[in-house]
Amino acid sequence: MHYDEKKPGGGVTRRGFMQIIGTGAVGASFAGVAMAARPEPAPPEKMIPAENTVKIRLHVNGAKQEVLAEPRWSLLYVLREVIGLTGTKEGCSRGECGACTVLIDNIPRYACMTLAVEAEGRKITTVEGLMDGEQLGPVQTAFLEEDAYQCGYCTPGQIMSVEGLLRKNPDPGTDEIRTAVSGNLCRCGAYKNIFRAGKKAASLKNK
Amino acid sequence: MAQDDNIYYTRGLEVPETPEPGAKPKFWEKTAVVGKPTPRVDGYERLSGTAVYPSDIKLPNMIYGALLRCPHPNARIKKLDAGRARKMPGVRAVMTGDSAEAKNLKWRYDDFTVPLLDPHCRFEGEAVAAVAADTPYQARDALAEIHVEYEVLPHLADHDRAMDENAPKVHKTGNLVGKDEYSRGDSEKGFARADTVVERTYHTQCELHTPMELHGCVANWEGDRLTIWESSQGVYAVQSTIAEVLDLPFSRVRVIGHYMGGGFGSKLQPGKYTVLAALLARQAARPVKMILTREETYLSVGNRPASTMHLKAGIKNDGTLTALDFRCTGPSGAYPAGGTSLVDWLIRDLYQCDNVSCRSNDVYINAGPARPFRAPGHPQGSWALEQMIDELAEKTGMDPVDLRLKNIPEVSQARGGMPYTTTGLARCIREGAEKFGWKDAVKKARQHNQSNSHVKRGAGMAACLWIVGGGGQPSTVVIKLFRDGSVNLNMGASDIGTGTKTIMALVAAEELGVKPEMIQIEHADTGTTQYATPSGGSKTVPTEAPTVRNAAVEVKRRVLEMASVDLGVPAEDLDYNGAEIVSRSDKDKRIRVTEVSRLKKRGVVVGVGYRGPNPSGKTVNPFGAQFCELEVNQKTGEIRILRFLAAHDSGRVMNRLTYDNQVFGGIVMGIGFGLTEFRQLDTRQTGKLCNRNWHDYKLPTALDVPADMESLPIEIDDPEANNTGAKGLGEPVTIPTAPAIANALYMATGIRFTRAPVTPLEVRRHLDLQKEG
Amino acid sequence: MLPHFSYVRPETLKDTIRHFNTKGAALHAGGTDLLGCLREKIMDVDKVVSLSALAELCEIKKTAGGGLSIGALATITQVAENPLVREKYPGLAQGAAEVASPQLRNQGTLGGNLCQKPRCWYYRGEFACLRKGGDICYAIDGENQFHAIFGHDRICAITHPSDTAPPLAALGAKVRAAGPDGARSIEVEKLHVLPKQNVHAETVLKPGEIITRIELPPPGENRYSAYRKVRARRSWDFALAGLALALETDGGRVKNARVFLSGAAPVPWRSRAVEQAINGKRLDAEAIAAAAEAVVEDADPLSQNAYKLNLFKGVVEEQLHAAARAA
Repeated sequence: MHYDEKKPGGGVTRRGFMQIIGTGAVGASFAGVAMAARPEPAPPEKMIPAENTVKIRLHVNGAKQEVLAEPRWSLLYVLREVIGLTGTKEGCSRGECGACTVLIDNIPRYACMTLAVEAEGRKITTVEGLMDGEQLGPVQTAFLEEDAYQCGYCTPGQIMSVEGLLRKNPDPGTDEIRTAVSGNLCRCGAYKNIFRAGKKAASLKNK
Repeated sequence: MAQDDNIYYTRGLEVPETPEPGAKPKFWEKTAVVGKPTPRVDGYERLSGTAVYPSDIKLPNMIYGALLRCPHPNARIKKLDAGRARKMPGVRAVMTGDSAEAKNLKWRYDDFTVPLLDPHCRFEGEAVAAVAADTPYQARDALAEIHVEYEVLPHLADHDRAMDENAPKVHKTGNLVGKDEYSRGDSEKGFARADTVVERTYHTQCELHTPMELHGCVANWEGDRLTIWESSQGVYAVQSTIAEVLDLPFSRVRVIGHYMGGGFGSKLQPGKYTVLAALLARQAARPVKMILTREETYLSVGNRPASTMHLKAGIKNDGTLTALDFRCTGPSGAYPAGGTSLVDWLIRDLYQCDNVSCRSNDVYINAGPARPFRAPGHPQGSWALEQMIDELAEKTGMDPVDLRLKNIPEVSQARGGMPYTTTGLARCIREGAEKFGWKDAVKKARQHNQSNSHVKRGAGMAACLWIVGGGGQPSTVVIKLFRDGSVNLNMGASDIGTGTKTIMALVAAEELGVKPEMIQIEHADTGTTQYATPSGGSKTVPTEAPTVRNAAVEVKRRVLEMASVDLGVPAEDLDYNGAEIVSRSDKDKRIRVTEVSRLKKRGVVVGVGYRGPNPSGKTVNPFGAQFCELEVNQKTGEIRILRFLAAHDSGRVMNRLTYDNQVFGGIVMGIGFGLTEFRQLDTRQTGKLCNRNWHDYKLPTALDVPADMESLPIEIDDPEANNTGAKGLGEPVTIPTAPAIANALYMATGIRFTRAPVTPLEVRRHLDLQKEG
Repeated sequence: MLPHFSYVRPETLKDTIRHFNTKGAALHAGGTDLLGCLREKIMDVDKVVSLSALAELCEIKKTAGGGLSIGALATITQVAENPLVREKYPGLAQGAAEVASPQLRNQGTLGGNLCQKPRCWYYRGEFACLRKGGDICYAIDGENQFHAIFGHDRICAITHPSDTAPPLAALGAKVRAAGPDGARSIEVEKLHVLPKQNVHAETVLKPGEIITRIELPPPGENRYSAYRKVRARRSWDFALAGLALALETDGGRVKNARVFLSGAAPVPWRSRAVEQAINGKRLDAEAIAAAAEAVVEDADPLSQNAYKLNLFKGVVEEQLHAAARAA
């Protein structure tokens, strides 16, 4: 990882040695999220039998994806173990910790409490979807600069909650940030820095 | 300097003078990068979602394991039938106590050896059987088809009943794990000399670690060689346990733990689940991922034991402590696990007192065994001692800050008078109080409380030390300097979220004169990295940082030797600045590191660093003091913490950014211990655990902690501790938090809250008692 | 990990009812309660009937009579943030804002919040309790610090977990329900059932019956409403004690007060004693003290929850003082 001093408030890439590469082809994918096709209507009613898998279409981080899923599979399981997007973490699978927070149509929700079949046709954004190509996005950069994490396991969820807040409210106060991450436990206790990162993320985004 | 040097090397960093070959590095008088607020070197990975935690591993052909656990706190398996489970869809392996792979294997709980799958389950959540299937869903389906008939036996859930004659016996030998006694001076005489003697009983509840990443692993066999990715604080500890249980040479067990999502002491060791994952993988001839459920972790991967403590203290009117008498009972759980370990340490060592006696009873109960939990024993003892000191201050009419300052010990009394290398206890208390505005806060709170508002205010403080924190041997670190000048740092230690990797990069960068982000770190892999003890106990930085420094010094020495051939100058006359080797006596004699001919030819120069011994005859300890201000709603019992300040002496601040974060995290965990967290067993009925999830077991959320938290490092040079001057930080920062809160609650309400946690229920109950008089 | 179930997402209410009206079927609105119940295996479900194709049940709209009609599938966040709700029915907005965590509020629905299963740790845990078809209520003689002090009749001591039902009941809301036998209205106050009526059910809804809308009457002049929740932690927690209050003032005197408690009983608990203590009175110190004493009349605390008596008194005092200040 390399922290690029030349670009205040941004520009963290993994390529400390080759920072010239990798920033060119960026803009497109992030814009792609915003301009993704409107969710397709739900498919016509049909019963999916219990032990069958069914093909479902997901829009994940701007890309359409088809997966085979059982009705009981959670969106979290499909993201992590089927698609392989492991940035979204499992902490409890009970809707109690927030490590699995993703945006569904721009709104933070627990992927563990969402059936994959219920996410069909919805726009899903995970922490990987906040990347600006190879660079960390503004919320991620703010978390880096404010050291808003320790072990990093709750962090993708915290980031998604802050991202969700900023998409709705671009200039939140500390209390709004606190409330926005109040469904995300951090056992390392990095809360104070998370609040600060929320503030900084807003200013990075508004630049 | 050539222009391209800046790609790899420092711009304007001052590099310490290179020691002469064989010389020990001198204490850094000042530093260029160490101590500066530096974002983590692995921040990109952790924030982008690309860091691969053990629970993220997915190998080709991998299947998923799951454990069946005993639902009773004490039961014997009469019959177990896994026949139907084996025929369930997707099932690839089933392991029971009768399986050939498992039946002769043993598991050790401390020094207590039991069968791996023991037919006598002495706690709810003990492993009974295991399966592996194509999906984790199928594995759970199969567990439901294993039929077990239990003989349910009487259980013991309350540690205060353990020594009763008619209490159910957890083991044939009875319920006493062990007794611990300590005394110095003569307590009776001490109490006789006292002007005031106060006695109180204190209780703390069992606290669960609940790190965010679930305990678990991925196990894969390649022939006879086993590789395990474990969410762990120490890969070598996992390796040795698994090798011993499976009777494999250590060399055939490779354990990898690059990232891990928190442990707090609960991941210093592997679990039975690790062994069972390996056995399932062998039976199925496929890799197995075994991640526990959140509920399982509440039952089976440790806890901070509850405590019942009785403290009697004598004090003279001038504030001299004359005697302390401490008794404590705490439960190990169903097997020996240090139920009262270190609970009395602060009573023994924190304050000057000539007459001290401590007695502890560690007892068995039918519940999951304890594991070390951040500052084992200390938060419990601190809860008692620091509230007692507050009470003594009130009785003698002294300010609690002044009373503590009156009783600062100069040596470690618990170690027979051994000096500390440095002690910042007095400074932490004094400077912390000043920065916090202690006197003012007390005055304001008292003024506020004269009003008739039902919301009362209080300010409170508490101090601490941590029993260790100097780190120590063994540790080995290898640093490779490549012929292009870039650096690889190889150490076995885990970064458990404290920023270990970043600090080590800073240390190597400091010594080698390169930028921290130019240092690639290989760590936490028994197959490829050096031996290290698990990360925990606030010993990782003081253990590994000096070792890293030694390795860097050794690399420099070797580079100088190589360059001396090119330059025709003796190595003793050369210095390395991260880019060039320069003669001290003739600045014109210099060579760029990339041009050193032997380095070019060999490709790499390797420096090995070893951790030297700690100073003999002295002890290395961190100290601290915390201050808080809060409000209590006397109608509802709700508590709102307004602010916290933590002043800690942990020697040199290695990275101010991660230092402050540790301090804040310690406070948050202390708030949980003091206000919200408790394990609730169904004590009077089934003995089962009532709250096995994050809704019923309440960690503090973002709305339960103050945004106003301040960290005040009390940085004291400690060249004797080790060559970096760092002392441990992770444990002390959580020790005094809860009693500081309790003391503030006393100021607000006039009630001594002796039972932790102080939930609104607890506040209301005491207010009711107060009303009744 | 959830057990197997089949899944269907009907596009009409009629089909939804048809699917739901079979044995072993469960409704999925936001899913936040259902999936937890399935994980805990507290009920046998072999078919999940999703409501998510029924877009018309998401709307919040004014009614012709000047009230408000909230679709059962409106999320808790939508209710909490809706300008009309905030302006006219602040008690409901406050209740909705106190529900669980932000993510769950974003997902959970108002209809689901009214129909959720209790959060008793025995009921949710591995205990064969009475409500789940076992023989005893473990809470009566067990760890009951979070349990009911009213209405349990020593049969089952759950507290009703909803933070929206008490303010809805206080505000005189009704639910519209549709079922195999047609549609009907039920007062929120009468939606939930006590253990002595039926220990295996939480609501009066019949098999196959679905809440479609929640209807609030016109707010009326000078109506004050509020919801206060005391909890052990400030996010993701259920009420230790909660109070939903709706009242009108006329010449400085209270009328039509409706008071419902959460964290108190197996249903949102109407405190007629408090209502009687303040109706027709000025909210002065004397009336408030009398109301606070009245709130715990007839309480039957269990071994570990007697603290709730003075807690409820404290909440009543605090909230009536706040109401007096606002009036």
